[in-house]
Amino acid sequence: MPDEEFHLPDHDLLRAVDGELPGSRARQIRAHLASCWVCRTRLAEIETTIADFVHVHRGTLDPQLPPAAGPRALLQSRLAQAAANSGQRFWPKFLQFFPPPGAAAYVGVALLLIAAGSALVIQHFAPLRSSPPVTQFESAAVPNPSLTPGATRPVSINDVCSIAHEEVVHDVPASLRQQVLHEYGIASARAQDYEIDFLIAPGLGGAEDIHNLWPEPYTLPTWNAHVKDALEEHLHQMVCQGNLDLHTAQRDISTDWIAAYKKYFHTERPLATSAMDEFKPTAQHSRRRFS
Amino acid sequence: MLLPPRNFAAELSFPISAPAAVCEKPSEIECEVINLFDQFRNPLLRYVLSFGLSVHDAEEVTQDVFLALFRHLQRGKSRRNLRGWIFRVAHNLGLKQRATNKRIQAALDDDSTIVHTKRDATPNPEEQMTSGQTLQRLRTVLRALPEQDRCCLSLRAEGLRYRDIAAALGISLGSVSLSLTRSLARLGSAEKGTRYAG
Repeated sequence: MPDEEFHLPDHDLLRAVDGELPGSRARQIRAHLASCWVCRTRLAEIETTIADFVHVHRGTLDPQLPPAAGPRALLQSRLAQAAANSGQRFWPKFLQFFPPPGAAAYVGVALLLIAAGSALVIQHFAPLRSSPPVTQFESAAVPNPSLTPGATRPVSINDVCSIAHEEVVHDVPASLRQQVLHEYGIASARAQDYEIDFLIAPGLGGAEDIHNLWPEPYTLPTWNAHVKDALEEHLHQMVCQGNLDLHTAQRDISTDWIAAYKKYFHTERPLATSAMDEFKPTAQHSRRRFS
Repeated sequence: MLLPPRNFAAELSFPISAPAAVCEKPSEIECEVINLFDQFRNPLLRYVLSFGLSVHDAEEVTQDVFLALFRHLQRGKSRRNLRGWIFRVAHNLGLKQRATNKRIQAALDDDSTIVHTKRDATPNPEEQMTSGQTLQRLRTVLRALPEQDRCCLSLRAEGLRYRDIAAALGISLGSVSLSLTRSLARLGSAEKGTRYAG
């Protein structure tokens, strides 16, 4: 029979249900709870509070979590880059061919050989080992996939189609715009030269996330921001007409938007404005800018 | 010999909502880090978000955590209690990012040309349906808790054991126990108050 004057303190109850007590003490607590309704009631109150807290915690934060695929891809790319920089992929594989006692000698000989032919080796392999220079992307029509793999927000078809494509577009915050330019190594670029564009357009469920933004040059003669705008409108229209799955549209435009343009407009080159009309059932949408 | 231009887009493109099932060519450590990312990304992101960071900043902090983990493992350092290690690094980087944001925000406040954006604090329809008076009151009490107590609660809600929480926050096991007990008592009192008031 329990001592009516004795009840378990909250911290013992909590540690007991959290499995944080040593075995002997846990058994004592269980024995006490088996016979004491007051302590069991108190434990139930604590459990209720925990449940409510978890409800608040998850209910507040879970809706904010973007899909993991984009960040996962970005991390894979960054890890590969880090591994390449450190050479950690190369040396373990190289050393495994040598018995440990002789490894140092073999490595020494190998280093001498490498040093002797270093000029040729560096000249030949440098383009393969180095990461794509930022300048290579400055004038390119496609984003750097390691910096801009694309990111989506959770949306339904109804969300996407309930308003016109251009109405979901808004200005990218100045601070985020600057981060994108900085990430691409062109922090001092002139605003009129680049559109900070969404790789996956907001009208297709794209997120306002640095992994979904890139500096797209206005001035490219062929595959430029105007052409991509046309593709975004066309995909939005196809999705909302039920002719294209939203996920497919997101994947195609993020993987290679130029290939997507060719695929969905059935052309190898950007169409003239007049030729676009056959793809537009209704009034023309105005173009958008993010500068 | 001229090498053909590399197609980086083809080499580095990934499907948006279909993660690669297996690692291709990466080292064991890279695979290990990616597996831990798959396991802990959401709990970690929630924890960092609980500091009041934006989703973008929280994602960046999470990326930095796993890059730091990669370097940690690459240097052959201890693998003991990696979960505690991951959350400890996230805790430190999250606080650092928040401090940085405060400094930037202070600077931006003086720049009238910068467009300010604020997160819409209005509860979404689901929140409006599910959040009663009790939950609203819990939120209020939560905001008033000392930061260490909030961190203990959040980490426990993410499934960390007391020793992991202690490692993440750099406090003793006893402090974790006391913090959780104290916080739950305050939250419980708030609930009771609501019920009696109702």
